[in-house]
Amino acid sequence: MRRSWLAPVLVLVALFAGTATAQETFRIAIGVDPDTLDPAQSTTTTVDNVMDYMAETLVGIDEEGALVPQLATSWSTSADGLALDIELRQGVVFHDGTPFDANAVVWTFERLLDPEVRVPRRGPLTVIESVEATGEHAVRLNLANPAPYLMGALSQTTNAILPPTVVDVEGNSYENVTRIVGTGPYTFVGRDLGERITVDRFDGYWGEIPYYERVIFQIVPEATTRESLLLAGQVDLIILPPASDIPALEANPRTEVVLGPSDRTIFIVINTTDPVLQDKRVRQALNYAVDKEAIVQGILFGAADVMDAPMAESLFGYAPIGAYPYDPERARELLAEAGVEPGELSLDFMSPTGRYVQDFPASQAIANFLRDVGIEAQVRTMDWPSYVGTMLQPPESNETQLHLLGWAPSYLDAAQQMEQFDSSQHPPGGLATSFYLNEEVDRLIDEAGQEIDETRRAQLYAEASELIWDDAPWIFLWVQRFPMVHASDVTNISGLPNEKFYAIYARPVE
Amino acid sequence: MSGFLGYLLQRIVGVMVTVLFVAITIFLMVRVLPGDPARVIAGVLASEQDVERIRAQLGLDQPLPVQAGIFLRDLVQGDLGVSARTSSPVVEEIGARLPATLALAAAGMLMAIAIGVPLGAWAAARAGSLGDVLVSTLVLFGISLPVYWLGLMLIILFSIRLRWLPAAGAEGPLSLILPAVTLAAFSVAFIARITRSSMLEVLRQDYVRTAHAKGVRRTTVEWRHALRNALPPVVTVIGLQFGELLGGAILTETVFGWPGLGRLLVDSIFARDYPMVQGLVIVFAAMFAIVNLLVDLTYERIDPRVRYG
Repeated sequence: MRRSWLAPVLVLVALFAGTATAQETFRIAIGVDPDTLDPAQSTTTTVDNVMDYMAETLVGIDEEGALVPQLATSWSTSADGLALDIELRQGVVFHDGTPFDANAVVWTFERLLDPEVRVPRRGPLTVIESVEATGEHAVRLNLANPAPYLMGALSQTTNAILPPTVVDVEGNSYENVTRIVGTGPYTFVGRDLGERITVDRFDGYWGEIPYYERVIFQIVPEATTRESLLLAGQVDLIILPPASDIPALEANPRTEVVLGPSDRTIFIVINTTDPVLQDKRVRQALNYAVDKEAIVQGILFGAADVMDAPMAESLFGYAPIGAYPYDPERARELLAEAGVEPGELSLDFMSPTGRYVQDFPASQAIANFLRDVGIEAQVRTMDWPSYVGTMLQPPESNETQLHLLGWAPSYLDAAQQMEQFDSSQHPPGGLATSFYLNEEVDRLIDEAGQEIDETRRAQLYAEASELIWDDAPWIFLWVQRFPMVHASDVTNISGLPNEKFYAIYARPVE
Repeated sequence: MSGFLGYLLQRIVGVMVTVLFVAITIFLMVRVLPGDPARVIAGVLASEQDVERIRAQLGLDQPLPVQAGIFLRDLVQGDLGVSARTSSPVVEEIGARLPATLALAAAGMLMAIAIGVPLGAWAAARAGSLGDVLVSTLVLFGISLPVYWLGLMLIILFSIRLRWLPAAGAEGPLSLILPAVTLAAFSVAFIARITRSSMLEVLRQDYVRTAHAKGVRRTTVEWRHALRNALPPVVTVIGLQFGELLGGAILTETVFGWPGLGRLLVDSIFARDYPMVQGLVIVFAAMFAIVNLLVDLTYERIDPRVRYG
C-alpha cells in the first residue's frame, strides 16, 4: 500500500502530541493521597501544600518563618487584647468571579467555628467568640481572652478564605468541599482519585502570575519510585526521596537536592512517671549517652540538625539553650549517682516505622548507644494508629517508657510546642506523653499565652525552655529537614519552615 | 425452574449469601483492631470535643447491634456508607478506582495466560529435555522474584535508562505495561507450572497413546486433545489467580503509583476508616465469588462430562 508509512507516523505524532504541552506543565510527585481537599478539614501538611496553590490565608509565612501579609494587609490588637482588627486586601477576586471582601472572611470563620463542620485543627480558633465585618474590607475578631499566637495561627491552610458561593459548586456542600474555589494563583481543574490532582493558572490572580500554565500533583506512595520519576525526567519535583539516596542525588548534576527547613523536632519521650525515669539524672544520662551528630550524619545522611533547645529555630519564642554532647562517661557517672547499675535497667522502647525520616533505623542506633552505657532497650514498632493509641493511655495504664515522636507545630509559635510540656496536656486529654510536671514551667507557659508584648512573651518561653532543657523529659534529638529534589533545569524552588515546598514561582533555568 | 437456568439461579443466590457472611465478618473484624477511629480520623491535634463529635458523626457511639443494623440495612439497599476519612460515599471512591484495578488485573491475567499456558504445555510435551529444565527455572524465578524488586528493576531499565515507558501513574496505555508485567510474573509461573503438571497427567493417558498410534500428527495430539483435557485444573487456577489479582495487587500498585483498590484498602486500614474497609472487603468478596462462578460455568464448555441442571 502506497500510504503504509502514514499509520506509524500518525501513531508517533499522537504519542508525541501528548508531550507537546510538557513545557507548560510543572509536575510534582507527592507521597500521600489527600484525604480531603477542603481546607477546613485539613490534617496533613502535604495536602495543605497542594491546597495552597488554590486557596489563600489572611497571612502567610516567608522562608524565615516570619508572618507576611497575604489576604490581610495589616492587623492590630486592642489594648486589652480582646479584639483583633484586620484590614483586607482590595482588588482581589475569587476564581468564580466573586469579589473578595469582609463578607467572605466572616463566612469562612463562621464555618470554621461551626460544630457541624469537621475541623480537626480548630483548636487555636476556639478563643474567637465572634467575627464581624467592620467595613467592606475590614473585619474584627472578638476574643474570649488575649491570644497573642492567633495571627500566626491564621497562617495555617485550615483557615484559607473561601467564598460563600463555594457551596454552589457541584459536588460541594457546606460540610464538605471537594472542589476548591479560592483566591490563589491556580484553580482546581480535576482530581483522579488516588492518582493525580490538576490545577491551572488563574490569570485573574492579584499577585505575581506564575510561569507554569498547569501544575500536576502526582500521587506516588513509594519513595524510590518518586526518585525514579525524577531521574526519568517524568516529573520536575519530588518530596521525601529515600534518605539513603540523598548523597547520590546531591552528586548528580541532573538533580538538585533542597534540604528544606522544618519545625519538626524529633525526640525520645521519657515517661517521667516511671519509678526509675523519675530521676532527672537518669534522663540526663540518656541524653549524654546518645551521639546525635553521628546518627544525623550516618543514618539521616545529613537531613537534620541536632537540637539545642526544646523547639526548632524557626519558632517564635526560640532561644538557643545548650547541648547534651555525646559523653558516655558522663552518662555512666550520672546513672551511678542515681543508683542504677550497668545491666540492671531494661527499658521498653517504641518507635514508629516510616513516619519520620529514618525513624526506625535511628531508634535502633539509639538503642545501641543506650546498651553501651549499660541500659538494655529493645525497639518495637507498630502501625501509627495503634502507636498513637498506646502512647495516649492515661498514666495509670500507660506502659511506655521510651518512645520516639516528632512534633511540628502547624504554625510557627512556641505556644503549640509548649503543649508538650504543659501538665494540663497530659493524656488522655492532651498529647504531652512524657507526663512532664513542673509547676514553674506551667506558670511561665500560662503567662506567655496571655502576654501581648512580644519581647516579654519570647523571654517567658526562653525561661521555660531553660528549665525544660535541664529537666530533660525527652532525649533531645534533632530538628528534621524536609528533603526535596528537583530537576536541574528548573529553578526558584525552596522550602518553607513548616515542611512545605514552595514552587509556585518555579520556572525553567534560562 | 429447572435445568441450566435453575442451576445459575442457585449459584447466584450462593454468591449473595457468601457476600452477606463476609459483610458480617468484616464488620466485626474491623472493630477488633486496636486504636480509636474517631481519634485517628480527627488527628492528633484535635480536641477531645472534636473527637467526640466525629465519633457521633461516624455513628460509633451507638451500641454494636444498632451499628450492625444500620450497616446491614444500608447494605441491602446498595449503600456502602460514607468514608470516615474523606467524607465521600464509599461507592464513589471504589467506583473511581475500580476501572484501574480491573484494567491491571485483566492485563496481568491475559499476559499470564497467553504466556503461561503455552509455556507449560510446551514444557510438558518435552518433559526432561533442556527446554523443560529452562522453563522450570523460569518458573522458579517467576514465583520467587519479589514484586518490589522486579517492579523497581523494570522502572530502572525501561523508564530511567531507556526512557520508553512511564515509571508511575495511570496516564495513557503505556503506563499499564510495566505494572501488568510485574503483576503477571508470579501468575505466569504459577499457571505454567499447573499447565505443565496437568498436561503431563494427560499425556500419560491411554487415549493419547492411542492417538499417537493412530498416526495423528504430534502437534494435533498436543494441542487439540491433550491440552483441552488438561485445562480444567488450569482454568481453576486462572480463576483463583484472577480473584487474587483483583484485591491483591497492593505491592504493584504501591511501586507504580497505580490508583487501584489494593492501595485504597491499605490506606483505609491505617486510617481506621471502617466504612471503607468494610465496603472494599465486600466488593472484593463479591468479585471473587463472581469470578469463581464464571470459572465454574466454563467447565461445561471445556469438559463434556460436566453438565449443569
